[in-house]
Amino acid sequence: MNGVHDMGGMQGMGAIDVDPNELSFHEDWERQMFGMFLAVFAGGHYNIDEFRHAIERMGATNYLTTSYYEHWMNGMQTVLLEKGILTEEEISARMAELGKGAS
Amino acid sequence: MPVLTKDMVAGLVSTGASARVDADVAPSFKPGDRVTARNINPVGHTRLPRYVRGHTGIVDRDHGVFVFPDGSAVGKDKPQHLYSVAFDAVELWGPEASDDFKVYVDMWDDYLDPAK
Repeated sequence: MNGVHDMGGMQGMGAIDVDPNELSFHEDWERQMFGMFLAVFAGGHYNIDEFRHAIERMGATNYLTTSYYEHWMNGMQTVLLEKGILTEEEISARMAELGKGAS
Repeated sequence: MPVLTKDMVAGLVSTGASARVDADVAPSFKPGDRVTARNINPVGHTRLPRYVRGHTGIVDRDHGVFVFPDGSAVGKDKPQHLYSVAFDAVELWGPEASDDFKVYVDMWDDYLDPAK
């Protein structure tokens, strides 16, 4: 799809910010996201192309204003919902638990 | 259901899961062939960047047979040859681009036609 993710040749995004000492993970949840991606992938719940296409469907504004691992979270959630592996209710329930400080 | 085990992690992290397919599929092109990227605009997933569509390059090498992402994204694979195709910067970005640069793009058979 001709989405905003296909950025090759685009201009006006500012200089590329290259940090040679960039950390692999900026927040602990990103580390968890990485682990979760591997676990769900190895579990055979999606292939890489289904995952990428889910990210591409985020919508331009959402895509451009969220971080790399937020893209992962969004893509994973979309695919798992579409495949019926997770439900909106399960996600909402877990979010509510986490909101109360559960871990 | 397969489960991620500790001994699988290092390999997955360092090299990813290979999308190479052990299938006997004939290549449509060979290194040195001039090819033109199709001007297609699929609404689904594709790894054919907009900036090469309609442009002509040269097959640099044949990587072998790989999962075709456009199909795989909707659960329908069509394994085929994947090539590294070299495009001159001038071909992609016009006469003001540098003569010295090429862009190498990995392209599946279904993205390419023989150049006219």
